[in-house]
Amino acid sequence: MRVLLVEDDATLAEGIARHLRAENFVVDVARNGEDGQHRGDTEALDAVVLDLGLPRKDGIAVLKAWRAAGRAFPVLILTARDGWSDKVDGFKAGADDYLVKPFRVEELVLRLRAMVRRAAGHASARLTCGPLAFDSQLGTFELDGLPLRLTALEWRVLSCLMLRAGHVVERGDLFERVYEGDADVESNSVEVILARLRRKLGVPLIETVRGRGYRLNAPPA
Amino acid sequence: MTLMPRSLAGRLIASALIFIALAILATGFAVQVSLHRFVRGQIDQRLDTEILTLRSSFEPGVDGRLVPARGVEAPPFDDPRTGWIWLARSGATTWMSPGLHRNAPLVAVWPAGPHPEAVMARMPDGSLIRARAQQIVVDGQPLELLAAAPPRAEVGPLRDALAPVVVALLLLGAGLVAATLLQVRLGLRPLARLRADLSAVRTGRRERLPARQPVEVRPLAHEVNELLDQHAANLERARRHVANLAHALKTPLAALALSLEDPARDPDHALRGLTLAMDRRIRHHLSRARTAALGPAARMRLPLAARVADHVAAFTKIHAERGITCLAEIEAGLTVACDGQDLDELVGNLLDNAFKWARSTITITAATAGRRVVLRIADDGPGIPNEAVATVLKPGKRLDEETPGDGFGLAIVQELAELYGGGLTLGRSAAGGLLATLDLPGAAEAPGSDQG
Repeated sequence: MRVLLVEDDATLAEGIARHLRAENFVVDVARNGEDGQHRGDTEALDAVVLDLGLPRKDGIAVLKAWRAAGRAFPVLILTARDGWSDKVDGFKAGADDYLVKPFRVEELVLRLRAMVRRAAGHASARLTCGPLAFDSQLGTFELDGLPLRLTALEWRVLSCLMLRAGHVVERGDLFERVYEGDADVESNSVEVILARLRRKLGVPLIETVRGRGYRLNAPPA
Repeated sequence: MTLMPRSLAGRLIASALIFIALAILATGFAVQVSLHRFVRGQIDQRLDTEILTLRSSFEPGVDGRLVPARGVEAPPFDDPRTGWIWLARSGATTWMSPGLHRNAPLVAVWPAGPHPEAVMARMPDGSLIRARAQQIVVDGQPLELLAAAPPRAEVGPLRDALAPVVVALLLLGAGLVAATLLQVRLGLRPLARLRADLSAVRTGRRERLPARQPVEVRPLAHEVNELLDQHAANLERARRHVANLAHALKTPLAALALSLEDPARDPDHALRGLTLAMDRRIRHHLSRARTAALGPAARMRLPLAARVADHVAAFTKIHAERGITCLAEIEAGLTVACDGQDLDELVGNLLDNAFKWARSTITITAATAGRRVVLRIADDGPGIPNEAVATVLKPGKRLDEETPGDGFGLAIVQELAELYGGGLTLGRSAAGGLLATLDLPGAAEAPGSDQG
């Protein structure tokens, strides 16, 4: 899951990014409103964590600009202000959730996962695809009822396919959601990860759609 | 200076009364003087005629001395009761009308000229009267002639002529006073309207004073509007400052809390507890600072339905998973006289609580009660027992320890509502949950107060 974090405070941004990466998120950090808006406009994102008090362009304006441009990714606003005016204005501008500073990072992770899952159209936290089950709140996979151990990159690829089970995920899209913007990786590395995943799963759940991308399919019962 | 009345109307009326009184007195005096002169002229003419008659009646008698002819006694000189008299003297001989007593002759204050002129004459009783007299020589003999009218001959006609004039002047005075009162009332009406408009601004029924004002009042209204704008700008600045302060304090606090999530740094969570306590205190004081900085001074006319709808949309999104139905039935035209952020705090905290506890349904209704607006938010949650209500409304207290929250949401609502002269009542809803009743000042225009 690729998350854009727009936060001007260096220490806080670094701290949040570190914790989110530890939870297998791909994190891009923008340090001001203009930069944040540009990244949101141009990159494939699963969610955005948006601080409201930003230099150059404030969070509400950035959010409004995204929604006006048709960017539909879920947005969680971070606000230092306790009042309801900011929160309600945030929701009115198109936010999906909010957290008031200071917050616990577990809370942020839970909210982000729930937002991403809801945005993908899943009402329940537990997603299944044949023998494979994904608890989107805890971020754990099970295969035939047994925990599936995955590396961070494998987790990212599989969770991305799982949230869009039955739909084609384009190769470039998948690549963006697995690697951070400045990561220097081989272009065929996603194929390497997919090959490892297919081996771990054993059953042919991941289908390659030639020329387009990949699709997670439930095997015919 | 201390005699000057304190009210403008008093000053205008007092000065107008003084001027009216002076004008009427002066007019009365002038009329009286000219009437007096006219009456006196009439009398003098008559006296001069009498002198002329007397003069022509004197002729030298057989002994060569002057004697009056018969027929001198013409009315009113023939009747002593009328008080009209004449007197003639030639050498040692004196003739006089029946009104004068021979033994106590009128002592004329002479001399007079060859033509009839005014002189003062002393009556037998010692009083001085005005008379007409003439000194001439007839056939070589001196002849002094005098005629006088009684004072009442002057006073009577003068009084008769003055009576209607005085009545007319009094009527004119009364008319002028009435006109002055009316004029003062009309003239000062814009001030009364300005006061009403200003009161409407204070209570939130208007945002500014109307620009259409009489020329004299326009600069005042303009200044007041400028003051209102400046006040609003100061408020905005103070608010931004509080917001910046919140951001400046809480962002590093969030970073601190985050770094303490590493178990190596804070093995027993003691430091985390401290950051939570800091956060609580900052939040408490920021909310106090905001309330204290605002007061209910910045009231505006806020449409209730639209803002409540924004809140409902936000909370429905926050609690999307729980499938809570929130029904808001608020008349579209209903407005409250509140500051926008205060209204958000009131509605936000009440709805936050309702959504936190509701099982499936929240009902929001609003109604006007006189000049107040009553907002009712009912949920179907567990409710709050009567004996616990006082505890909930005490700042910093919270009944639940599991559900996350500030702990003083309802207390804030009560405090804010009281600032607006209203209040928060907690009771039991029809569904057995909590019914929160919020009383706020309405912003409906008072009938006719805006017209002019």
